[in-house]
Amino acid sequence: MNIEQNLQKAEQLLEAWKKETTHPESNRLDVSISVDDLHPAVGALHEAHWGYLSAITGLDLGAESGQLESLYHFCNGAAITTLRVRLPRTGDAALPTIEDIIPPATFFERELHEMLGFKIVGARNIDRLFISDDWPEDVYPLRADFTIDQAKPVEGRHADELPEQGVVGGNTFVVPIGPQHPALKEPGHFEFTVDGEVVTAARMRLGYAHRGIEKAAESRNWIQNLYLFERICGICSHTHAMAYSLGVEKLAQVEAPARAQAIRELVAGLERIHSHLLWLGVAAHEAGFDTLFMYSWRDRETVMNLLEQLTGNRVNYSANVLGGVKCDIGLEQAKAIKDGLNYLETRIRHYLEVVTTDTMFLNRTRGIGTISFAEAENFGLLGPTARASGLVRDVRVEAPYGAYKQFPISAVTAANGDLEARCVVRLNELLVSCFAIRTIIDNLPEGPLTVKMPRKVPAGETIARVEAPRGELFYYIKSAGGENPARVHIRTPSLCNWVSVLEKAVGRQLADVPMLIAGMDPCFSCNDRLVTVTRTGERNTWSWKQLRQYGIEYYKQ
Amino acid sequence: MNNMPPLIAILIFPAGLTLIFTGMFYEWIDRKLVARFQNRVGPRWFQPFADAVKLFAKEQITPGLANPFLFFGLPIIAISGALTAALYVPLMGLAPVHSFPGDLIVTVYLLSLLTMCIGLAGWNTSSRFSLIGATRSLTQLFAYEAPFLLALLGPALAAGSWQISEVNAYAQDHWIVLSQPIGFIVALIGLMGKLELPPFDSPEAETEIVAGALTEYSGRGLAIFKIGKSIELIVGITLVSAFYLGGLDGILPYLLKTVAVLLVMTVFQSLLTRLRIDQTVGLWWRFGTILVLLQIVFMIFLRGYPL
Amino acid sequence: MNINQDQLWVKVAKKVRTWARLNSIWAVHFNSGSCNGCDIEILATLTPRYDVERFGIKLEGSPRHADVLIVTGPVTRQARERLLRTYEQMPEPKFVISVGSCSISGGVFDGCYNVGGSVDEVIPVDVFIPGCPPRPEAIVDGFIQLITHLKDGNSPPTRIQPITEKAADEYRTEFTKS
Repeated sequence: MNIEQNLQKAEQLLEAWKKETTHPESNRLDVSISVDDLHPAVGALHEAHWGYLSAITGLDLGAESGQLESLYHFCNGAAITTLRVRLPRTGDAALPTIEDIIPPATFFERELHEMLGFKIVGARNIDRLFISDDWPEDVYPLRADFTIDQAKPVEGRHADELPEQGVVGGNTFVVPIGPQHPALKEPGHFEFTVDGEVVTAARMRLGYAHRGIEKAAESRNWIQNLYLFERICGICSHTHAMAYSLGVEKLAQVEAPARAQAIRELVAGLERIHSHLLWLGVAAHEAGFDTLFMYSWRDRETVMNLLEQLTGNRVNYSANVLGGVKCDIGLEQAKAIKDGLNYLETRIRHYLEVVTTDTMFLNRTRGIGTISFAEAENFGLLGPTARASGLVRDVRVEAPYGAYKQFPISAVTAANGDLEARCVVRLNELLVSCFAIRTIIDNLPEGPLTVKMPRKVPAGETIARVEAPRGELFYYIKSAGGENPARVHIRTPSLCNWVSVLEKAVGRQLADVPMLIAGMDPCFSCNDRLVTVTRTGERNTWSWKQLRQYGIEYYKQ
Repeated sequence: MNNMPPLIAILIFPAGLTLIFTGMFYEWIDRKLVARFQNRVGPRWFQPFADAVKLFAKEQITPGLANPFLFFGLPIIAISGALTAALYVPLMGLAPVHSFPGDLIVTVYLLSLLTMCIGLAGWNTSSRFSLIGATRSLTQLFAYEAPFLLALLGPALAAGSWQISEVNAYAQDHWIVLSQPIGFIVALIGLMGKLELPPFDSPEAETEIVAGALTEYSGRGLAIFKIGKSIELIVGITLVSAFYLGGLDGILPYLLKTVAVLLVMTVFQSLLTRLRIDQTVGLWWRFGTILVLLQIVFMIFLRGYPL
Repeated sequence: MNINQDQLWVKVAKKVRTWARLNSIWAVHFNSGSCNGCDIEILATLTPRYDVERFGIKLEGSPRHADVLIVTGPVTRQARERLLRTYEQMPEPKFVISVGSCSISGGVFDGCYNVGGSVDEVIPVDVFIPGCPPRPEAIVDGFIQLITHLKDGNSPPTRIQPITEKAADEYRTEFTKS
């Protein structure tokens, strides 16, 4: 089905509730509905299997209009349907929950609640996800009138509740993992209740790396933001910058030249190689196979060299500028990249053999954390984690952007859904990336690298979706016509994949837990860029019971 | 050597200081080889020594919940056990300082003392990581102890003695490693389990439980436990090479044979993925013990011992 | 008991102690809200190309075993207490290395509502390694700087007391009480 048919179908499905329908872009459908109709409208889309809920964006329209807006973005291939709900800014701003229809929506709703002060009616858990525990009540960082002075710590509360020490009772302990823990090089906090060696409950708390980037973006100009978003995550910095540039270019109605688009895809490919090799090393380290860790990181240095040669930096490359790219590929670089890829390909084939044949490693990966196709769909998983369960969720394939139209890639999937499958999917993806990079170098379009970008971007809003190494990266960008964006909302893939860890840890051995966490390739810094906090000192965690309850309720229908 | 004053024997030579330094040297060989297998340069030769001196010079923090008597006492008991065990094995190719029929059992027992102490230390500090580490240490102890002892029984049965020096002398003329290959492998793997080396390092699996039972130890206590481990390393290697390679009757053959055993162990360490604790236990009881038992039965049958 | 500091064995013991400290640095890593870039580069220093084990530097899991605390990232609201707590758990003598521009000044995140600012406002820092992120070579160099400055008993390169020393003290008393 092509985009238009898809959108038409969505329009038919929403016929009964629509107040106003627009087509802001050729692949988007915007339907305004009233708050009371939200639940049935979402239900209709879900029942008809029209795509998946990709993100919920909350907007504060400001004091003049006196309204808050909540946008539910459903993606189906390249087609995007957005449900708009407006609520008065003062008073309750009560929004019905949709987690009974789409369980993973709870993360998005909790974000809405803590950042913008929506009251989610009927939600089982609206504890804050990101903000610190000493954040005052009724202060919402993404509200237009928020100032830093409002966020004074509340007396007598800690920024995060420290886990209680010692034995909980009987044979049950709570094992905290993080925020300072050798398994995680990044801060997140998990509490696994173990009975002997077996995990009986899992909870998590995010927000240690929460810096408040979305708010900061509103006070910086379009160009400054490029460098800010690049530093959301040190691993997939290029994808963040690329998504942002693509979005802003769409808004400003300029298109980066073909050569720039191709170079963007090339750098993204190299970045994917660096990210996945890094992941392989970390996964091996979690499993206690340090030799593989050392080898894969040694080979990763090859990619780092290439990226450095190309862009001048090892990590935050700043290859993108608005309207194009900064770096060109000459003959010398082309040769270096090809040589590097030749070496890497042999190594990747070797690692593929290792992860599929090494008995001791398979002991720790095969059949562990298995996620079935139906579960993957239900949890709303993205990226390699979803593809390992056979669910094709790859923006590069479903909705090609930039140079992916000219240099398409094929989606790599596996059927088993266990940790082994995720290893295999990621490594095979590298081979695909290598192939794509070669093709790009051989057929690099001629032409300029940049086009001129206006300083002010015309008013409007757009959505940019880009496939990061971890899955779909979602950018919602709104411009009011000024030098700064009015709102940028970012939904990173890790947020959608958490549920795979929490759900699958229970009943497993404690020793498998780090592997499970590593299995989804989490990225806390991506996740936490937003905000967070908890209310009356309650622990900002998510218990497995609650999670299970969602599942049970869900299947009852 | 039985006439050497016991105090000197225990404190300076061949046990005591000499042993500690040799143990550190072997630990360095181990770390260096693993680093080389991992394509790295690896530590310098004095590294374990510098580590130990540094730890001794550091502040020692006693966790509030721990019993201070046990907290300080356990490392001492552990290292004394390891040092005493050293008296019964042919270190440096010299005859054991003490020897009596049945000293094999005493040595194996003394070697286990260290693990017991680490387990107790983990329980005593009552941090959650050390509790789980301690549980795992002790679980592992029960798993490897039987196959390890059975594997050492093979050569002892062949030699017809439970005295280490006699088995060593017997092994000099017989290629036990060839006649009992299964026993050799099981003994080696059992030793790796005893030392909690990868892949049997789940009691101190960094990515799960930080540093296992010793998470809360700092400064001196940690240093003593680390030294105890390196002594255990050298005593264990000596024991296995005496039983299976035999002929530890001079410094040169001693070095050659023990380093060869260490080399095999480092290869295992760098090749294998860490086993989960349930997998470890399964491996030893399902394969290790049964294979060694089969081998012993086979031997008894061959030699015509009365059953 | 007073030991005469001029006695030969005391001097030798001190020399040996300093030598051991310089040659065996165990580090523990704390991410106080960084973007990951620095953390990855720190991990990269362990891997074959840079291999800091040759200098005796090892990454430890437990703060109790560590001599050096490596901090990356601007200090976020939640990470602040955890950072202090981790620092408190380390035995003396201890040093702090702050890696990356964010940990020095807040970097691009300066002014964000959930970011406290630099690491040296929370705990004393001995070495700053600038860069976004610093290359692994720079991180290794930071360690070497610390080592060279500590030689002969010098104080560390830049030991800055926390600006909010009072707050840190308050926290300390509270910590010891509980």
